[in-house]
Amino acid sequence: MSDITCIATIILAGITQASLQLGLGGLILLYHNSLGKHRRKKTRYLAKNYILGSAAITFLMVCTFCFLIGNFFNGALTAEWLVVCIGIFAACGSIMWLLYYRKGKKSTELWLPKAFTRFIQKKARETNDNIEAFSLGLLSSFAEMPFSLAIYFVVANCVLNMSSYLQIITAVSYAVLTVIPLVILKIHVKTGRNAVEAQKWRVKNKAFSKAFSGSAFMILAAFVLAYWVM
Amino acid sequence: MKKKITYEYSSSGVKQSILRNAKSIGLPEGWAKQIATRVAKDTDEWIADKEIVTESDLRRQIIKELKELSPDLAYAYQNHDKII
Repeated sequence: MSDITCIATIILAGITQASLQLGLGGLILLYHNSLGKHRRKKTRYLAKNYILGSAAITFLMVCTFCFLIGNFFNGALTAEWLVVCIGIFAACGSIMWLLYYRKGKKSTELWLPKAFTRFIQKKARETNDNIEAFSLGLLSSFAEMPFSLAIYFVVANCVLNMSSYLQIITAVSYAVLTVIPLVILKIHVKTGRNAVEAQKWRVKNKAFSKAFSGSAFMILAAFVLAYWVM
Repeated sequence: MKKKITYEYSSSGVKQSILRNAKSIGLPEGWAKQIATRVAKDTDEWIADKEIVTESDLRRQIIKELKELSPDLAYAYQNHDKII
């Protein structure tokens, strides 16, 4: 497979993972709680560490899946495994369209176990230093695993298919790509706006983000099918 | 059966939670203190003749008061636990 196809797949997968909402919700929660008790400068550091945590776990997950594919799949996923991934993408896309957000509520609550939601809310409330913010970022991204697991498989497969000098660069670029919405939120707050405005935007455009995420999964499924399987 | 937990109502607790939310949306400190004091006072009056109220009733009452004074603050107070 050519490097261009690999890069296109990685960009598409990055956009799909970036459209997941838990990481963004966690950062808004962190902003809301932190701005209420700390100086803006401290909140900026906490947000920076949250984003770093999120990017770090993404990078580490890509490396882990590269290791797994390298050792257990002889360096590349077979067509059968790619079809399994495509099936998972299609299922995730349908879940995004139908079930991702709790219905009938003027909020952006996701279908997550209540205990888990409370745990993240508690952690966001209690986050007072950079290490805690970093681990909250790790946790939020890790919690998206049911949706991102198949994405990691496909991305790691692409990374291993690329020229060796490009492998680390693409893995890092992928991690950066997935945190772009978080960086945009950080810039948004840095320019004097608050987390409530961002949350209002999310509520107003809930249907759009749901359609975007669902479509991104479906397009990724079609792309992998067309360029990697057929 | 779910265990019921009761708390003693605290006017200063109401004030503190409003101030925290006000700070998080960047409301000027003086204005935030005025809002918090007024809402806490009104809530004290509302609760005075009641023996027991639910947390949701109390929140609803505070949000009702806040909506008149600062819709943004009311929104923050109402929705901070509905983000994820």
